[in-house]
Amino acid sequence: MRPPAGVSRRTLLRAAAAGSTALAAGCSGGTRSVQVAVVWSTSELDRFREVVAGYPAPVQVVSAGNDIDAFLRARHLAGTSPDVAILPRPGLVTEYAQRGWLSPVLASTEYAVPAGLGELLTAEGQRYGVWVKAAHKSLVWHLPSMLPVQPANWDALVRRTQELGALARRDGGPAPLAIGAADGWVLTDWFENVLADVAPESYNALARPDADWQGGPVREALDRLAGLWSINGAFVGGGRRALLTQYEESVIQVVHTKRAVMLVGADFTADVADPFQRGPEAPVTFRFPGAQPGGGPLIVGGDAAVAFTDAQGGVELVEWLTRVDSFQPWLRAGGYLSPNTNVAIGSYRDRVGQGLAAEMRTPGTLRFDLSDQLPGAFTGSDGVGIWRIMQGFFADVTDGVRASEAIRRATGLLAAAARSAGGGR
Amino acid sequence: MSQVRVLGELAVLDDVGPARRGRAYPAVGATSALLLPAAVLLGGLVLWPVLRTMHASVTTDGRWVGAAHFRTALAAPGTGAVVGRTVLWALLVPAVVTALGYLLAAASRRSEEGGLVRLILLVPVALPLVVTGVTFRLMYDPDPSRGLATLVATRLAGRSVEDAPQLLGPGMVTVALMSAFVWAWVGLAVLVFRSALDAVPPSLADAVRAYGGKRRHVLWDAQWRPLLLRTTAVVFALVAVGTSRTFDLILVMTPGSVRDEASVLALRIWQTSGGTTTGDGAALGVVWLVAVIGGIMVAALFVRQAWPPPPVEAAPEPAPVAPPRRVFRLLAAGAAIAWLVPLAVLVATSAHGRVDAAARGWWSAPPNGESYRNLVTGTELWRTLGFTLLLATAVTATVLVVALLAAYPLAWLTGPAAQATGLLLLAASVVPIQVIAGPVNEVLGLVLSSGTAQGLALVHIALGVPFAVLVLRNAFADLPVEQVRDARLGGRRWWHTLRRLARHNRSAVVAVSVLEFVQVWNDLVVGRLFGGPGSFPLGPFLAEQTRSFVSNSGALAASSVLASVLPVVLVVLSRRHLVAGLVSGGVR
Repeated sequence: MRPPAGVSRRTLLRAAAAGSTALAAGCSGGTRSVQVAVVWSTSELDRFREVVAGYPAPVQVVSAGNDIDAFLRARHLAGTSPDVAILPRPGLVTEYAQRGWLSPVLASTEYAVPAGLGELLTAEGQRYGVWVKAAHKSLVWHLPSMLPVQPANWDALVRRTQELGALARRDGGPAPLAIGAADGWVLTDWFENVLADVAPESYNALARPDADWQGGPVREALDRLAGLWSINGAFVGGGRRALLTQYEESVIQVVHTKRAVMLVGADFTADVADPFQRGPEAPVTFRFPGAQPGGGPLIVGGDAAVAFTDAQGGVELVEWLTRVDSFQPWLRAGGYLSPNTNVAIGSYRDRVGQGLAAEMRTPGTLRFDLSDQLPGAFTGSDGVGIWRIMQGFFADVTDGVRASEAIRRATGLLAAAARSAGGGR
Repeated sequence: MSQVRVLGELAVLDDVGPARRGRAYPAVGATSALLLPAAVLLGGLVLWPVLRTMHASVTTDGRWVGAAHFRTALAAPGTGAVVGRTVLWALLVPAVVTALGYLLAAASRRSEEGGLVRLILLVPVALPLVVTGVTFRLMYDPDPSRGLATLVATRLAGRSVEDAPQLLGPGMVTVALMSAFVWAWVGLAVLVFRSALDAVPPSLADAVRAYGGKRRHVLWDAQWRPLLLRTTAVVFALVAVGTSRTFDLILVMTPGSVRDEASVLALRIWQTSGGTTTGDGAALGVVWLVAVIGGIMVAALFVRQAWPPPPVEAAPEPAPVAPPRRVFRLLAAGAAIAWLVPLAVLVATSAHGRVDAAARGWWSAPPNGESYRNLVTGTELWRTLGFTLLLATAVTATVLVVALLAAYPLAWLTGPAAQATGLLLLAASVVPIQVIAGPVNEVLGLVLSSGTAQGLALVHIALGVPFAVLVLRNAFADLPVEQVRDARLGGRRWWHTLRRLARHNRSAVVAVSVLEFVQVWNDLVVGRLFGGPGSFPLGPFLAEQTRSFVSNSGALAASSVLASVLPVVLVVLSRRHLVAGLVSGGVR
């Protein structure tokens, strides 16, 4: 018999799959497991398995690696999408929602996130994703003995960098800054921190389709960066060497070999710093400096959970992930931040975690990672999009190209990349 | 054809007159059945995806757009450089490998240490390209306190540590990648040239000398003209096709900021299309496909004749030939030492723990077993190794069965039909998987196995079958008529005949098995494109760890060493069979 028109191959295949798993479940007396695709690997993956171990139904966690977008696109093409995915970029959530791949999700009553975060996961008024994890991305790391006085604002940072750079050139002292410029996201994090301070009100506008990438705010932020990055002796081994330095290596340069004094990095820098710490001295942090003393705006990154259409039990699992108790294994492990403001500050294991969680709840200062919100290839990857453009800009300013010329090139490329990704001007 | 007993002996009724190959040809029905598995695999997972990619390159959402995608793709900034670099790879690297291969094969001939030299050169051939990439990135580490090559270059140039030459920097990265590739491939060229040189009857050189020929005449008339020209073409073509695998090296060796300066078409297509194949990505893919297949066809025309030639009358015991001159032997010894250095760097790094390997050079800290201890006591590497072993074994067995079945009837084709089949198989065996990834995924979706181990295996099988059929078909066709006749007489059914024939072709069967196994074991791109939950083979597993290269280098080097043991042992043990298989596959 021919299947009735309108029943897609996918539905048939799903029915067959559901049939066979139902059979298996019937034998074991359990329920069908929910499949979740995540980007995490190694210890992060183990931690998440601990989290879903508390879920009443069996959950199968699959690591899709860093190319989760390609993985999910291929699985969609093949009609074998997982039930739930945890995406590292809100841009993907809205993209998938617009293509009709996702089903709307609900959050538990225990779920509340800082203003501005929730909207990133909605499309046409519907909520398509929830935040499950957050990262604080406005920190500068250093060893206390290497930098006794923390720069209070941007100008102080520039001055300190000049002094340390001069010392490094003269008698081979440590370079003021370590930077993993081989990883494009390191540079976009710098850029976002400065941009949110220079133009807090136009920051979010750059994520929208009509963004002006050649306008004043972008130019001003790049100009500020050029002022710091072009300082002679600012980086270990110079700019060209910095472009071959990966993020983990830059952490090692600060905490282990002590060839650099400061490092801009997110809270998860601690994961790398811990095994490479030498002696009893642990690195400490201060807030990425803004023009005014007291720190600039806060850049936050995060991972969002979505449920695919036709998913079995996907919506329920997503709802469960937003409960306060679900975050417990992450709290116990330390080094993880919850975007949920109903998670009690006191439940964080250490002072640092408590402080960072409190910072995230300060009203009005929070901005979500901009490059993660950009559409298509513009969002960046190795050799692609905004990652590549920021690396080009970094290469220019550390190689003695005039700031105005470097800015002109970078903004031109940014505008072109935004246009070809389907927006911007 | 019927079999009866004549005077107590089994005979075939129409077995009169000169022996003919046609006697062993299976009936039409059987032929179709034998060819079916290979045809379904190739049709579904190679041919149809190729057509689909071509279709995608001229349409947008099913609408005809003509050459628009080609124009956009070729006009995109940087495409010119990418295409140029791909061409450079396809011409320069094979030329270097071929020349070096010939020189070293000649230099390591008939000398006592020659066997050892060839063995050393062969080891890199068997390594996964990911491991080669890891090895050379360790040597070229931008920090002279860790990278041996950087340290040496700094000293030689008399530069300061802060001003060390950057071999992985934008200016040098392609040269660095090429050096790794040459290191990995020269052994193969040496092996092939060696057996070609051995096949040249020394009497030929004597004859040339007898007619007053000088050294260059001997070289030209007794070496190049009869044999080596064709061998050179084979090696060149093999390496040129191999350069389309630079993908693995680039992904592993280049830091993100220089990836554009190293990019070739394989990478560009992967970056622009991910797991799907549409628009610009498809257009670039078609350009690449046409170039690769065109190139291999030209090479095939060059080397159409059979190689090695049918054995001549049993030659008299070859007169002892003088070993090569001393300078040549020194060259061979020097090469062997140079080839050992990267291996030593890999092993030395693997003998250091995480902190030591990341923070200082392997020569400045005492080795310990920390990295190995962590790996061996962990479960992750074992799981990956186990899965890869299972995958490679299953794929190899299936490819062998499917290819044997198909090669049997194909071996008795003659004339244009045989040539056309050969060229078609050759073309199918060089189709780059990146170009057809999207459509292949659709097909896998139809059989509900995308992102699963079965799907991964299926893709490997489809990609492995054409080459295996080619090698086995040629091996069958090369069998002396008498052996074929014996097999036909002794085998009561066609599968008995096939088994007997396969036994006569042990070399080809071993070559196909080893090559297929090593190919799957060493793969990165298929695993990356079609792997998924629970099906994460070795290549992607290692490549994933290079995202934080320095902080992981101890564990990465240790897992690379463990991952290389099996392919190296297999290739070294089967090296003689490999040449026969490889060369017969490349020449019809």
